[in-house]
Amino acid sequence: MTTIDARPMEQPVLAGDNYLTHTRGFRSWFFTLDHKRIGLMYLVSVLTAFLLGGIFALLVRTQLLVPEGLIMDQNDYNKAFTMHGGIMVFLVIIPSIPAALGNFVLPIMLGAKDVAFPRLNLFSYHLWIVGAIFLVMSMFTGGLDTGWTFYTPYSIDQQSAMGGVIPAVTGAFILGFSSIFTGMNFIVTIHRLRPKGMTWFRMPLFLWSIYATAVIQVLATPVLGITLALLAVERAFGIGIFNPALGGDPVLYQHFFWFYSHPAVYIMILPAMGIVSELIAVHSHRHIFGYSFIAWSSIAIAIFSFIVWGHHMFTSGQSPLMNVIFSLITFSVAIPSAVKVFNWLATMYKGAISWNTSMLYGMGFIFLFTIGGLTGLYLGTLSTDVHLHDTYFVVAHFHYVMMGSALIGFIGGLHHWWPKMTGKLINDNAGRVAFVLFFVGYNLTFFTQFMLGSHGMPRRYATYPADAGFQFYHILSTIGSYMMAIAFFMMAFYFIGSLFFGRRAPANPWGGRSLEWQCTSPPPHDNFAEQPEVGDCYDFSVLRWDEATGGYVWREDVEHPGQHAEDATA
Amino acid sequence: MSMLGLLATTTSPMKLGEATSGGTFWMPESASTIAPEVDFVFDFINWINYIFFALVVLVLVWFAIRYKLKPGSRESFTPDAPTHNTPLELTWTTMPLLLVGLIFWLGMDGYLRLTEVPDDAYPVKVTGQKWSWIFEHPEFGVIEGGELTVPLNRPVRMIMSSKDVLHSVFIPAFRVKQDVVPGRYTSLWFEATRPGQYRLYCSEYCGMDHSKMLAVVNVLPEDEFQDAMGQLAREYEDIPDSDLPAYAMNRLYSRCASCHSRDGTSGTGPSFVGLWERTKNGTTVFTDGTTLKDHMGPGGEFEVPENYLRDSILNPQHYIVQNYMGAMPTFKGQLKERQVDALVLMIKNMDRLVDDQGNVIENPDLDGADISTGSAN
Repeated sequence: MTTIDARPMEQPVLAGDNYLTHTRGFRSWFFTLDHKRIGLMYLVSVLTAFLLGGIFALLVRTQLLVPEGLIMDQNDYNKAFTMHGGIMVFLVIIPSIPAALGNFVLPIMLGAKDVAFPRLNLFSYHLWIVGAIFLVMSMFTGGLDTGWTFYTPYSIDQQSAMGGVIPAVTGAFILGFSSIFTGMNFIVTIHRLRPKGMTWFRMPLFLWSIYATAVIQVLATPVLGITLALLAVERAFGIGIFNPALGGDPVLYQHFFWFYSHPAVYIMILPAMGIVSELIAVHSHRHIFGYSFIAWSSIAIAIFSFIVWGHHMFTSGQSPLMNVIFSLITFSVAIPSAVKVFNWLATMYKGAISWNTSMLYGMGFIFLFTIGGLTGLYLGTLSTDVHLHDTYFVVAHFHYVMMGSALIGFIGGLHHWWPKMTGKLINDNAGRVAFVLFFVGYNLTFFTQFMLGSHGMPRRYATYPADAGFQFYHILSTIGSYMMAIAFFMMAFYFIGSLFFGRRAPANPWGGRSLEWQCTSPPPHDNFAEQPEVGDCYDFSVLRWDEATGGYVWREDVEHPGQHAEDATA
Repeated sequence: MSMLGLLATTTSPMKLGEATSGGTFWMPESASTIAPEVDFVFDFINWINYIFFALVVLVLVWFAIRYKLKPGSRESFTPDAPTHNTPLELTWTTMPLLLVGLIFWLGMDGYLRLTEVPDDAYPVKVTGQKWSWIFEHPEFGVIEGGELTVPLNRPVRMIMSSKDVLHSVFIPAFRVKQDVVPGRYTSLWFEATRPGQYRLYCSEYCGMDHSKMLAVVNVLPEDEFQDAMGQLAREYEDIPDSDLPAYAMNRLYSRCASCHSRDGTSGTGPSFVGLWERTKNGTTVFTDGTTLKDHMGPGGEFEVPENYLRDSILNPQHYIVQNYMGAMPTFKGQLKERQVDALVLMIKNMDRLVDDQGNVIENPDLDGADISTGSAN
């Protein structure tokens, strides 16, 4: 094959100009309106928070090596698991995919120059920073020991919970607004800025999942905001809303809290499902199987997510009738999740699968999410949930979904779009080694926790009975967590290393078909000189590998969307 | 299934340490009528999951290997790969729907039985407070702490309430759990099918010593249970005053243990070691800056120092010792007169009851011990 008449996919740009070098200086970043820079700043912030949350996780795991607790007293342990949960939920998983990767990728996937409201986008980021400061500050204003759920009446009792409650809920309140604004922005962007040829059912599936997520963010987060505001007022002034001593109802708080926090689980997992749809299709070089079923399942999950919150409260004392209804509805969520797994598997059928790091995370997601989803069945089932509720079984289950699935999706997406964001390729061998280490360590850490929980080990225990047979599983779990820590440091090493020593990335290193692969790596400041046309994002038949550039280019012998316009300008 | 489980039960009593050995790969030992039913549903879901999971992983690995991109080949597109297949997709949408419907039904069935309390259930009143459990037997006028004695093969109903924050009663061997909520009653019931001792955990986070809010459920055959209750009902009346300190250490201290140490270390509350010295000499300093001495003596609030100890048990928020947060709930109504006496005597004789490391001395030497409670003087 000759390369002379290869048609590069990217639009021509001024030599050397890209969004990273377009302007310089701190202010050009911190006050930028460029969605790519904002996305990158989110990425750095989220990863910093992840490091912090991870340190707390390791402290918790180290403590539990021995029954009487190895390194901390009860209060410090309670603070450690609270900060781990609070940081990981509010500062890492919720913003990781939508705010960091979504901000970067979404407008480019649409062929747009930016999101619909760039100033609001910057404001969201600044709010995130302020919220993060408040949340972390709670550590220094008396500490926070309520658990990330802030359950009442513990959290509103000045005698009980430590002094960090009000700063922490203020932080979560502010972070909520950051999340709402980002969601609003994405909804409008997807509605208004889609390019020619991209109908709703031709959108990349990542956009569908981000859209469904944004709808949940906008509708559910205000409830959390109001609830936390009530909690803060109650703690400060003693107005009886949740405090039974003042005529309030502590279980009402749980209803309010989970009305947000169950949908929030889908704020975390839906974007990861979107990424995995991209990963599996692109790296299998194969049209996604059952596009419309996957798209509709995202919508279905978003809708169901609002009516299942009561399954967090089967033992709270709510009426048996409600428990039965919530259990029934909960099972409906299993269906769209299962549909997605089957469709991803079918996408690999007759594909041409690259075993690169991104694809390993895609396949790892299917493995771990299947475990996370299937173990949810025990918890949706009433009689077994009564036994398993508030034990390590639940801890293991939601880590399989939140970390094993949502975070894996994020890491997979990071590998997938890293060349686009930085213009550099990582060392793929190092990536694969780190994946294997992570994958083994992950299962060692959390599968053992299923055993702990089903045998009766309750959550949030700083110590445990020495003769109950728990220690063996705790030791395995802790060893696994250290393996994961090593894997994460390897990732940090090769990601940062790639910035200095990585090969230059071509515009389209993986053979993707959506629009972000049709601008240079890294993209120019304006993404596209003209909004490009797009056809079927999963029709890879118009691409071929080009040895000279080390990436994929249009095939000469097949017409691709927008070709006439290009020919005319050429 | 459940009937077999019932018949298979043995009557050999189990000790707490052996508790985990009686279980299966997934579940702890089972000792209630509900447990075999719960385990059946758990196993049922298990097998569905094993099959599904094996299927998914098998297909995943098979496709990943079979369709791996050939080394050196970048020609990637497979034109004849299907992009959708509606009948197939409808099949794998509806098939799980039927299965989860079945699982839901099984779980609901077992759960509803958990909500139907038998009429003749033996009542126990449970109070959760940071960080101990109080169990009251209204039929016998007996109050226990740290240990709950229940009859074998008879339904037991726990009516529960909390004095402060949320707690939750969790007895893994019985497969039951119920949150304990302040300001309202919740309840759960079980019928133990094997005599022995089983752990009871607090499973709803309740603050500092959450992980120490443990108790033991002691299941006794009916006749032994009746005997034990009779004994417990009279226990403080029957024993001589000289035995009260040691008795309180063995029977009552567990309710104090999570906050008041017996080795001198300071916990949520002051240690019991040296407490009597500080009280007798009136050196205890309160949060309002006054010392105990200011309130003692003729005409003072506490004519004798013993009265201060008594007041601290029944009305703990009255005076709070400096550097402590005053987290103690009242024990008014949970202790009989003679039990309060016993606690006061225990505190007065701590040095005779425990050694320097805080270990309880068996058969302590109480000859010549001060066994006056002050009230009689």
